[in-house]
Amino acid sequence: MTDWTSPRGSPYAARRRESLRERALDRESPLRRLDWILLLAVGMLCTMGALLVWGATKPHNVALGLDPNGDLKRDLLNIGIGVGLGGVAAIVDYRTIRAYTPVVYLASLVGLIAVLVHGVTVNGSHSWIKIGPGFEVQPSEFAKIALIVLAAMLLGERRDGAIAPDDRDVWMTLAASSVPILLILKQPDVGTVMVVAFVVFGVIALSGVSSKWIIGLLVVAAGVAVVIVHLHLLKDYQLKRFTAFTNPHADTQGSGYNTHQARIAIGSGGLFGKGLFHGTQTNGQFVPEQNTDFVFTVAGEELGLAGSGLLVVLVGVVLWRGLSIAARAEDAFGTLLSVGVVCWFGFQAFENIGMTVGIMPVTGLPLPFVSYGGSSIFASMLAVGLLQNVHMRSRT
Amino acid sequence: MPAAAPARPGPRRRKRVRRPSPQRRIELILIGCLVLLSLVGGRLVQLQGLDRTAYAAMAQKQRLHTVALTAPRGPILDRDGQPLAETVDARDIYADPHKVVDAAAESGRLAPLLGVDAATLQTQMQQNTTFVYLSRAVTPQVSTQVIDLKLPGIGVLPATKRIYPAGPLASNVVGFANADGAGLAGLEYSFQKLLSGSNGERTFETGLSGSPIPDGHDILRPAVPGTGLKLTIQRDIQWKAQQAITAQVHALHADSGTVIVMDPSSGQLLALAVSPGFDPNDPSKSPISAFGDPAVSDVYEPGSVNKVITISAALQERLVTPNSPFTIPPTLRDAGFTFNDAEVHGTERLTLTGVLAKSSNIGTIEVARKLGAARLYHYLRAYGFGQPTGVGLPGDGTGLLPRLSNWTASTLPTASFGQGVGVTALQVASVYATIANGGVRVTPNLIAGTVDENGALKPAAAPEQHRVINASVAKQVRDMLEAVTTNDGTAPLARIPGYRIAGKTGTAQRPNSHGGYSGYTASFVGFAPADAPKLLVEVVLQNPRTGHFGGLVAAPVFHDVMSFALQTLKIPPTGTRPPVARLTW
Repeated sequence: MTDWTSPRGSPYAARRRESLRERALDRESPLRRLDWILLLAVGMLCTMGALLVWGATKPHNVALGLDPNGDLKRDLLNIGIGVGLGGVAAIVDYRTIRAYTPVVYLASLVGLIAVLVHGVTVNGSHSWIKIGPGFEVQPSEFAKIALIVLAAMLLGERRDGAIAPDDRDVWMTLAASSVPILLILKQPDVGTVMVVAFVVFGVIALSGVSSKWIIGLLVVAAGVAVVIVHLHLLKDYQLKRFTAFTNPHADTQGSGYNTHQARIAIGSGGLFGKGLFHGTQTNGQFVPEQNTDFVFTVAGEELGLAGSGLLVVLVGVVLWRGLSIAARAEDAFGTLLSVGVVCWFGFQAFENIGMTVGIMPVTGLPLPFVSYGGSSIFASMLAVGLLQNVHMRSRT
Repeated sequence: MPAAAPARPGPRRRKRVRRPSPQRRIELILIGCLVLLSLVGGRLVQLQGLDRTAYAAMAQKQRLHTVALTAPRGPILDRDGQPLAETVDARDIYADPHKVVDAAAESGRLAPLLGVDAATLQTQMQQNTTFVYLSRAVTPQVSTQVIDLKLPGIGVLPATKRIYPAGPLASNVVGFANADGAGLAGLEYSFQKLLSGSNGERTFETGLSGSPIPDGHDILRPAVPGTGLKLTIQRDIQWKAQQAITAQVHALHADSGTVIVMDPSSGQLLALAVSPGFDPNDPSKSPISAFGDPAVSDVYEPGSVNKVITISAALQERLVTPNSPFTIPPTLRDAGFTFNDAEVHGTERLTLTGVLAKSSNIGTIEVARKLGAARLYHYLRAYGFGQPTGVGLPGDGTGLLPRLSNWTASTLPTASFGQGVGVTALQVASVYATIANGGVRVTPNLIAGTVDENGALKPAAAPEQHRVINASVAKQVRDMLEAVTTNDGTAPLARIPGYRIAGKTGTAQRPNSHGGYSGYTASFVGFAPADAPKLLVEVVLQNPRTGHFGGLVAAPVFHDVMSFALQTLKIPPTGTRPPVARLTW
């Protein structure tokens, strides 16, 4: 048994004097212990994402006289940076990361406060910080990771995970996560708040607390939803946009416009689609945000049921591998970290695809790995790196 | 047992529970994920598999846009190819009232440019609609000025404008078309289909912004340009005829007047002038009644000009000769009516030529008695009465010729000198053109041919023609008509020095709407040179109030127009001497 409390005890560290090639080919090499299926699924999602971003932007860029492949290039650059970040997140032992949890948490709070002070407003949300020309960062994406790490640490560290968390641990987790949640709510970015709340709930549920907590939290969530609707805490247009999916034929020019156009684009794609760059609804820009939040409509229209179905299957593979890694993790922290990431990807992907096909309300959430957007891709890749990290260091 | 002391709460102790295996809950999450993803998958099968046709149709419907391509309207040209009506580039100015910010200020700035009252513009800009025309078919220059104002909610659309460069010249023939390209009067109306061509359309796919979708369909069905019309109208003669008749209508306080100038051998109309006319560039300034062409649509009783039909028919039927003697009593009773002549006279002894030259009603009735109703009816029809002239103008009337079976005892005597039947000015012109043309009636025509968009002329089909009287009879009648313009005839004012002029006056009572008569129709129709006719001019004045004899009020207009036309067309006098006519015996 290795001493897993110290990164120095990791197989990687123990063999540092051996040659690079020997280390790489060794039976105990971390490379051999990568989850290749997860890597392949994520790679395919990123590839499809790049193609869809290309398909959504090239014809329009040509019409505007811009670089036809400009958006593709930026997307590929984001993916490349994301791979590097993910690699770092995979190599540094996750237990070392656990030690730096407070730093990660405080850094995310600084980012979220900075966005409220210096942020840029896009689509009504004050979510971006402009760092340089054409380079903006969305701190709430990184806050997701910080909260997962935090919740996993608070709920998974008792006697190194051998003992179930008690009520105080849960209260502490709720208190610590409420600060970033309130900051994100202030932007306002309701979609991200929902993701983060669901992730915290998922980590609590899997931490071994009694089912009273699970039921209690569900009741509270339902109560909050009722209060929000009844006290008119949401602006009228927000509520309308949110509930538009319940009646697909209501106000197709107003609050129901997005979902109506998304359904037309996806439905008109048929079984095999109209071909990349040949989606008329995409090229006509009927669907808003078609390279970011509504990128799934491009898959539906240009690649058809075959392409959109493949995306859903790939998301399923990622979730399956994530849960498998969680089940086989060396310790409770690794399990909860993995569960948190799975809850994030699962909820966000279901919400994103669900809103485009009209079975979920509309919120501004990107499809992980696929939607254009640096912060989203960076954060998703970091999370995949953490999954690989846990996998490499799990029991065989 | 002593009463137990109340139990002291022990130190708060943490319950230590072994962490349960997360395996079961992980499996639950996996199942949850599979359920949700299946839900998404099922929805995708529904949208992209089952309902794909419906969504494809919805997609196509919202991106297909059809824009009408307006076919340029064919021009209307005079006989020398100069435009009487043509289509030029223009712009329509419109407002989207929902986007207008300050209707009062914007209308104030637009009003001087568009020449429209600011208050009217403001009302239009405040309507609850998204589109309203503010001014149609303005010049491109004006539209540029409007665009430069950069007013919110004000837009410009490409359009065409129908203009009439000659203004009121031949306006009653040409008519006019409205801003939507619909002909509303004249040839613009009757040749609407030919002139308008057919609009094309472009069907293309547009995106949300309205601009064409890259890689979208673009189907073009080009517009078929309208075909132009080339008329037989001679611009200068038309102008002279309009000017002369307008002056005379004013001078005599007449209701209206008509001048027809025609080439008798070809049936071509060189001028078709009416007064009052209108300006087709601004038809709204004239009453609707001004838009027709009275030359073909106004029906009146022709009076004495009709006598030539009775007399030529009798000559053709060899019942009389130009020198046949007639004894004319002061009055004549027939069919219960007493007929008399225009001037009171005792018993006269006139030749047939004298009857025509002095326009004797009683003499003409005597000729008609020899002819009989059936033969008179036959010749009236053969000369073109009771049927449209076929000239192609809207309202081309048949006149009023009772069927033979409906003739009463008084029809024969009255019709013989031109009362009790109704004709149009063009029908009368055609009778005299037939005589001038040696007895062959050529259908009056106005359209020389059609002109395609490249200006190539396709001549019109030759007009229908048929013989009514023999050439020799026609010559006899021409000689007799020449006597009309002698000092002994009724129209010496029609004479033109150097030329031999044949013609006939008409002074008919005008039927009124109460079934009686009030006022007169004064007319003169004649041709020159009498022995080799090249031109025919007819002048009709309706209800002149100062003077009413055709020889006195219509003949001077004939003189002016005929002189001008002979000079314009450089028709020389024949240099022959007129025959000496015997009017009495």
